[in-house]
Amino acid sequence: MSAQATARRARPAAPPRRMKLIATLALIALVLWSALTIDIEIDRILRLPEGLGLIFYRMFLEKGPLWSYFPEALAGMIESLQIAWVGTIIGAVLSLPLGLVGAKNVSGGFVSNAVRQVLNAIRAVPEILLAVVVFIPIVGIGGTASAYAGTLAIGIHSIGTLGKLTAEVVEGIDPGPVEAARAAGGAPAQVQRWGVLPQVMPEIVAFWLYRFEINIRASAILGVVGAGGVGDALNQAMIFRRFDRAGMIIIVIIVATILIDYVSGTLRRRIIQGAGAKRIHGEEIEEPSFVGAGAGKEGSGSG
Amino acid sequence: MIRFENASVTYPGGVEALKNVTLEIPDGQMMVIVGLSGAGKSTLIRAINGLVPLTGGDVMVDGVSVREAKPKQLREIRSKIGMIFQTFNLVKRTSVLNNVLMGRLHGAGTMRSLLGWYKPVDIEIAMQSLERVGIVEKAYVRASNLSGGQMQRVGIARALAQEPTTILADEPVASLDPPTSHVVMRDLQRINRELNITTIVNLHFLDLAKVYGERIIGMRNGELVYDGTGAQADERVFRDIYGRSLTADDMMGQDAPAAAAG
Amino acid sequence: MTASTSSLGATQRPAKPRRSPWTIIAIGAFLVITWWAASEEFGIGFDVVRVVNNLTRGASILAEFFPPNWSYLPQTYGPMLETFKMAVIASIIGCGVALPVSFLASRVTTPNLAIFLADRGILNVIRALPDLLYALVFVSAVGVGPLPGIMALVLFNIGVVAKLLSETVDGVDPGPIEATDAAGGNRTQMVRWAVLPQVLPNYVAYSLYVFELNIRASAVLGIVGAGGIGNNINTVRRFFQYDNMSVILIEIFVFVFIIELISIWLRRRLV
Repeated sequence: MSAQATARRARPAAPPRRMKLIATLALIALVLWSALTIDIEIDRILRLPEGLGLIFYRMFLEKGPLWSYFPEALAGMIESLQIAWVGTIIGAVLSLPLGLVGAKNVSGGFVSNAVRQVLNAIRAVPEILLAVVVFIPIVGIGGTASAYAGTLAIGIHSIGTLGKLTAEVVEGIDPGPVEAARAAGGAPAQVQRWGVLPQVMPEIVAFWLYRFEINIRASAILGVVGAGGVGDALNQAMIFRRFDRAGMIIIVIIVATILIDYVSGTLRRRIIQGAGAKRIHGEEIEEPSFVGAGAGKEGSGSG
Repeated sequence: MIRFENASVTYPGGVEALKNVTLEIPDGQMMVIVGLSGAGKSTLIRAINGLVPLTGGDVMVDGVSVREAKPKQLREIRSKIGMIFQTFNLVKRTSVLNNVLMGRLHGAGTMRSLLGWYKPVDIEIAMQSLERVGIVEKAYVRASNLSGGQMQRVGIARALAQEPTTILADEPVASLDPPTSHVVMRDLQRINRELNITTIVNLHFLDLAKVYGERIIGMRNGELVYDGTGAQADERVFRDIYGRSLTADDMMGQDAPAAAAG
Repeated sequence: MTASTSSLGATQRPAKPRRSPWTIIAIGAFLVITWWAASEEFGIGFDVVRVVNNLTRGASILAEFFPPNWSYLPQTYGPMLETFKMAVIASIIGCGVALPVSFLASRVTTPNLAIFLADRGILNVIRALPDLLYALVFVSAVGVGPLPGIMALVLFNIGVVAKLLSETVDGVDPGPIEATDAAGGNRTQMVRWAVLPQVLPNYVAYSLYVFELNIRASAVLGIVGAGGIGNNINTVRRFFQYDNMSVILIEIFVFVFIIELISIWLRRRLV
């Protein structure tokens, strides 16, 4: 080391962290304001563990799981599954062309942008709102009509998310095959079918499966507003304070959901690997409005 | 003093990485380990601080058995042994100072280290370590903004901040260019001489080993096959250790700059 | 196409590879399930004809949404504000709790297999239920108002953030972890200094994301009585006040949109 190096170099001063301090203070202020001005009495918070414990006890422990109610719970869950299934199909089928059109490299900036905005608008409305506000008034309640409304709500909402994801995948493709298809004289539809689709189908199908997993959760609870499925039975059970029934329903929902998640997840992985497509780290978050094929399973109200 | 007694390591797959190694390293020695990849250099070094557990025999650090040490004891042993890595192992997203302070973690209470409220004496020691390797002016710079050589010096500072009795260096210069490699090796040599810290270094380049190794250990297939001084080690010795004739890749090929051009 | 058989010897054209049986089975299963799910007797009785028929009826109802009854707007300010506060509180609590939970759910930071599996298991169960369901149950447990809504959102948050974060933790650079171990640090110190700095940007991103989800979710939780604008939705729909309903919808939409913009801006500033 040179003599210059062994001489004491001046120690730097610690950098000021003003921005960080301001941001933290602002956050704390926001949280405190929210907590203090919200309309909740303290004693309710204090009695929280008691209330929770009681209901947990009544649901699962008092009489043990209510196996006698199992058939009805299962029937309701099956209806929810069917709603989710058909709803997802509607969403998938309709989102495919919309997603294609919504891709910049397919239909040019202006058109694709317009389509994306429409898709965003659809996505922004949670399924339950769609059901409550639009479809139930239209198709009415009772019998098969309610399942119908739920299916439409899930289907239409799924178009939004699936459409956006489809468009993004299409925008990310390798332009080579598309160019080749065009150069060979293919009509636009053929170009799509042979140039675009083969590249993106595995990923898109994976999205459909993931959307199905999410939609199961939505359909399970839509019944609360009368849109069919097991949610209706759950609501009734809660209203009449038959918590043992509610407990059984919840168990059925959990088991069914986890099972289907597992099967669907395995299928998704097979499809992605089988196609040799680059592995999707399917849980990335891209931007705020990104919902679905990503972070966890949102509840029905926020799909 | 560090002592290996019939130390062996057999990995779950059946690979015998160390076979009955017996070795004594006196305090303050600068020892270099050479050998082909997979010869056991890395395993030997990591057995000293227990990062690789022994499956046979024992290694004693200052009379305390590493193999028998309970977790708390092991942490105590490790706190006195600084380690430098080929890939530097710095936390890129945080400042140089925070990285060096990681060397003070053992002494700082859990609560303090959780909040990052190190005692002033810890910060002083960290700063001094940075001064010793000559990059204190980068204390508040984000670690990812440094060059490779600078990052390794931060690694050395981190080890120094532990106020260790021993420093282990696992291929510390393998990711650096030749001039920087010499700078780093010379830093290690200087620290070894000035602070009398036992320094054990794995090296890939034989010419470096010869220059900086007060003592050279040769490993082949998990066995100790050579033990001598840097002066005694010549081409024939290295060929014996490697079990093959030497190639250009085995030498770094650039001598240390004549004047001390830090 | 025209193989010159002379130089290559007689090369036979390969037989066309059979379609993998799995694909056929999959397609078949798909069709069967779809038919079963949509059919009248076994399923939900879905058919496209009915959709078309109902569209006309729908049109008249949809017409009632317009024009929106703007005079209703002031009545919604209070509930919307409550919705916002619910989202804020739930985000803070949920993301805060999710941090240690996510460390427990990753083998990188939790070598103890039993704890890891238990944590993962609990997370899976939490995530199997939608937030509205939790709200429903909690309303029965603690009464109506924003409290059950916040509780439901907290659980939901933990589910989302912990899963995402634990996967990020799974993928961290193990180098700094080795370095803390070698320096004699304990597990807490390792997590704080070797893992946390690496995942912090992701954590912030996930938290912001979940906050947006919370805003949307808390808007509807009120339907089961858990506070926020959802209560108004319930009242309004019971009385068939569609012109008020459209005001609420537009309001929610605009609100979510603004939050999204802020969130994008925040994310850019922070990263």
